[in-house]
Amino acid sequence: MERVSTGIEGLDKMLRGGLPAGRPYIVTGPPGSGKTILSTHFLLDGIRNGEQCMLVALDEPPSEIKANMATFGWSLDQLTTLDATPDIKTHKKRNVIDVGTTLDVRDMEKVQDVRKSMQIRTMEVSIHSVQKMIKQTARDLRERVAGGHYSRIVIDSMTALKRFSLKGEDARILLQSFLRFLSELEVTAVIVSNALDPTALETEFLLARGEILLHKWIDGNAVRRAISIERMRGTPFDDRLRPMEIGAHGMSVFPSAAITSRGELAHTVDRAFLEARDADEVNARLDDVLAALESVRQVEGETREAEAAVLRGVVALQRKRFEEAVRHLITAKTRLTEELRLHDAATKARGKAE
Amino acid sequence: MKIPTGVQGLDRMLHGGLIAKRPYIVSGPPGSGKTTMLAQFLKEGISGGERVLFIVLDEPPNELLANLRTFRWDVGDIEILDANSDIRRFEPTPIVEISDEQDPVKMRDLPEGIRKTPEVESHEVSVHSLQPLLKTLLRKHGFQRIAIDSMTGLRYFCMRDFEMDVSTQSFMRFLTEEKVTALLAVETAGESDVPPESFLARGEIRLHRIRDDSGIRRFVSIEKYKGSAHEEMVYPMEITEKGIVVQGTPPPPP
Repeated sequence: MERVSTGIEGLDKMLRGGLPAGRPYIVTGPPGSGKTILSTHFLLDGIRNGEQCMLVALDEPPSEIKANMATFGWSLDQLTTLDATPDIKTHKKRNVIDVGTTLDVRDMEKVQDVRKSMQIRTMEVSIHSVQKMIKQTARDLRERVAGGHYSRIVIDSMTALKRFSLKGEDARILLQSFLRFLSELEVTAVIVSNALDPTALETEFLLARGEILLHKWIDGNAVRRAISIERMRGTPFDDRLRPMEIGAHGMSVFPSAAITSRGELAHTVDRAFLEARDADEVNARLDDVLAALESVRQVEGETREAEAAVLRGVVALQRKRFEEAVRHLITAKTRLTEELRLHDAATKARGKAE
Repeated sequence: MKIPTGVQGLDRMLHGGLIAKRPYIVSGPPGSGKTTMLAQFLKEGISGGERVLFIVLDEPPNELLANLRTFRWDVGDIEILDANSDIRRFEPTPIVEISDEQDPVKMRDLPEGIRKTPEVESHEVSVHSLQPLLKTLLRKHGFQRIAIDSMTGLRYFCMRDFEMDVSTQSFMRFLTEEKVTALLAVETAGESDVPPESFLARGEIRLHRIRDDSGIRRFVSIEKYKGSAHEEMVYPMEITEKGIVVQGTPPPPP
């Protein structure tokens, strides 16, 4: 089976030689976990081999990607870029609000600044228009260079494409068709997805032939990273979680190192991470409210209502209903602040009277 | 009469295999080994001289064949029906459906590359076209085993939202009436998910996939098996070079 390197040595080792060629794959993980960096490694590797590579940018404008990747000393000038980031929404008096773009293909070399939204008319980004644009770009290359074809493509991100462009009940069918289209192009596709809910059956997850998951969590006060291959059709692979770092030269994966055990490392590392972050916020608020409660008690103020709200907040926290907990704690804090203000005013008035 | 599934440990869990001529589902999350189990079930049929049919909806047959080469199985005699839809057309032309004349091909005769969407008329699969086609094929060729990979693909990509429940039910009913031993892959979204197909199937083999410090671990359990006793425990399983191996099952009764 033909293999395509990911551009990251350690990851290729985990894959026993790279990704099986010509198929679509998913790269997913929490925000800031390195999805765009991983996909750029993949594109750069192609460019270095003299392959034709395409980036379909839907989340970040190509100008920003270019600037961000320059910090690693990478030049993406040879990369064909399809800027499908949506323009600023045009608000009209009518109900219809279009999310638009000019759908513009160019070499990264020519990308300068963020493209300005067109004043008059913006085109709608849809899975159909993106597909048409990719098809046209591939055709243009064939006409320009005999036998020229794109061998690697990155869609960054599918979540954006779905958000901006898929409406109605046919979303799944359109997405299936789009993935089929990529297969027929015989291109190895890396699809970035931000869908973090492992229990949702998202179309791109159902149809992708493999899934690479990036992990990020806080250990003490350090950010730690890891990478895992969740599934990969047609090849044996290393199924363990491996340490990963993002340094001055991009992403490094350590395929023979182990993650020092820190309890259960489930598929839901990201969710646990997000939950812990929410819980931290609630806890910080709780400490704040408890301190205020103590102050009010010291001046013998009224605390009953606040205490009830705190109790409701704690119950909500235990049930992991973080938003609700925050709401109760805000109520408690408001009551306590009001109580302290009244007390201060009373003290001042008394002072004046004396 | 019971027939072997091709996975020895699983046959022991099923107390001798699957009762023939009924539909069963193999459920589990993506990457849990459903496709492998289906292929192993068909391979077992071939080695017993049966005619078997693999209906694929989720990946092109050329990829499936390449993936199965990892196992050194002789799968050349498996007949495969490519029910992957072509690229959909966006022009408001009437939908051209999978034709009744479409014939399965043997795995050994599969072309290397992916089938390309023709410029003129494309091949769109809907449950309304697949069902009569299958009926014709089953009557004409008398397949003894069929596998569908996957029912989720059929439900998601070949049915419109409003008809999903009714059509799924009707399709399952159709399989029952055709009296063929069928293994259907169904994707599950988490451990507690009960897919609609499991109510209608005569049995459910559930595959589990859990990540822990040592990597991905796989387990198998029988959630339902009408008309037969079966093991109630969850057993560990592995996907090896020889296919799926279930560990620690009790020995067959003497």
